[in-house]
Amino acid sequence: MIRQPISRSWRIGLGIAAILLLMLCYTILSQSRQNTARREQHTVAGKRLTQLAEQQQQLDLQRAKAEAVTAEQPRQRALDRLREQQLKLDKDLLKWRQIEREPNAADRTVPTWGMLIMEGLIRACTPQGDFERKETWILVDFKATAWRLLTGLLLGLAISVFLGILMGCFDPAEAFFLPPFSFFSKVPATAVLPIFFVLVQINFKMYLAIIAFGMLPTLAQSISASVRKDVPEELLFKAYTLGASQFELIWEVIFRQVLPRILDAARLQIGPALVLLVAAEWMVAGEGIGYRLRLFFQRTDMTVVFVYVLLLGLVGLMADYALIWLRRKLCPWFGD
Amino acid sequence: MVASRDDIVLECRDLGHWFGSNKVLNGINLQISRGQIVALVGPSGSGKSTLLRAILGTHPPRTGEVLMDGASYRSPHRDRGIVYQRYSLLPFLTAQQNVAFGLKLDQTSLAFRCFQFWEWAKLKTEHMDQAAELLDRVGLSAAKDQYPSELSGGMRQRVAIAQALIMRPKLLLLDEPFGALDEATREDLQVMLLKLYSENVEARAKGEQPPYTILIVTHELNEALYVSDRVLGLSQYHHGGSEGAAIVYDKAAPVYRPHAPKELSDFVAQKEELLKAVFSDEVIQHHSEYVSFWEDREKLTVDA
Repeated sequence: MIRQPISRSWRIGLGIAAILLLMLCYTILSQSRQNTARREQHTVAGKRLTQLAEQQQQLDLQRAKAEAVTAEQPRQRALDRLREQQLKLDKDLLKWRQIEREPNAADRTVPTWGMLIMEGLIRACTPQGDFERKETWILVDFKATAWRLLTGLLLGLAISVFLGILMGCFDPAEAFFLPPFSFFSKVPATAVLPIFFVLVQINFKMYLAIIAFGMLPTLAQSISASVRKDVPEELLFKAYTLGASQFELIWEVIFRQVLPRILDAARLQIGPALVLLVAAEWMVAGEGIGYRLRLFFQRTDMTVVFVYVLLLGLVGLMADYALIWLRRKLCPWFGD
Repeated sequence: MVASRDDIVLECRDLGHWFGSNKVLNGINLQISRGQIVALVGPSGSGKSTLLRAILGTHPPRTGEVLMDGASYRSPHRDRGIVYQRYSLLPFLTAQQNVAFGLKLDQTSLAFRCFQFWEWAKLKTEHMDQAAELLDRVGLSAAKDQYPSELSGGMRQRVAIAQALIMRPKLLLLDEPFGALDEATREDLQVMLLKLYSENVEARAKGEQPPYTILIVTHELNEALYVSDRVLGLSQYHHGGSEGAAIVYDKAAPVYRPHAPKELSDFVAQKEELLKAVFSDEVIQHHSEYVSFWEDREKLTVDA
């Protein structure tokens, strides 16, 4: 039946089943990718061995010619050169025969779990680089991105709350801000990134501006709508009769009433803000999650990329739960 | 308790209001003296809420003026409390905090609360104690820490009344306050209003000012006659009805003690009179006969 409730254990069980299914699908995908890569490598090795066999034949011919030379010194020189070539060829033959026998693809487009842990997680979590600049990527990148995201979110939230409440309370403010906000909320924020790169110097402030700009039009409009819809005018009249000043009305009644909506709206903005930030980092940053993803994408090495994606998901979930917890703590009256 | 024209709290002088071509109120003249509980009844769309809003000050009238203690006003003020049928409480505060909210707004400023934290903490405790005491009086001490969403409709209205009363307003306006409640709860709250009226009587007997003056808008005629000592009828059924509604009925109502048996037979004659004068066009030409509260009072005073 529609909306038939299920027990908690069923709910948890189904959640775990979904995660396991996802992991199984990934395992099958990575194994099949590795097998395909092995097959491709076997074919490549076969072709290479045929070429090497041809080279060997030519080398044998050259050696026979060299041995036929009567003058001692030129003959010796030619034989020495051919010996060196033979050594190189032997090494190649050995390598490619080995590959043909046991192709070890090490394809990193869809790495196996082992590769994810050994090459991705361990590389990301242990200091890497030369002696002069040794850094743990995960710390450097997550710190940079988290700091940009948090500051940008707070800045965007503060401006949006201020303007949203202003628009919700005063018609002139709404008439003034609504047209530009309506316009910019329809423009994909990622499309505006190049304009930011050109207009604003590429530095920490630029990331803040990008995030704040990305969330402002939507969030301010949603807060304004909430002020108009969720605060009945009777409550405002009543507050006036209780002696509230204009400012107290906004701070003590309107803000407190829409606070859970603000927190929910902010929660929903984390995703879009992160998209913008990673996109911007991908293009111009020298550190951060977007930057590292680009580096490894260029090498078609997905080991670190998958680890980062996994961690991003976990961090996003944690932020989400943190905001839900905050809403429950600050607005116990609101319920779930 | 005899109402006196010397102690008028609220006065409406030739009040008129319209929305576009829709004329709602026309020539409303009204005086309410201190300590009265006045019920305002009228057909749907007769402008009861418009009159209430004009008296509250949130929607000033287009013509005429409203005066409180002789002073004209055009905005809401802490002297006029209001209890609505819905949205009566701040959902983010507990019952006790809701009641204390007015004291906080009225007696302190935001700067005081931020910069004189210790003084504010002390004052807050006093406010909360006063709120708890008032909640106890309206029979809600057990629910003082609950949020409005956790309270029943009747409990919410009790808290809303306490929230308004703690401000000691000169006039308390009740806008169909019990409209959404079940019969038993409604009667409980009606008895609560009668208790307030008894306090007025006691205060007057002691030579003090009666503390509660209430104007209650209701569509329930039995309720109007039961809780009030004066009934006003607002209606468009008068000779100038096309220009907007006017007061077409103004008479004293029987006064009951709290928990005294409610004699419905007492109501019947007056209820029929109300139906005739306010809800129909039967007496349209001579409705002024039914606007006789002050004349009746004066006669009563002279006879006494």
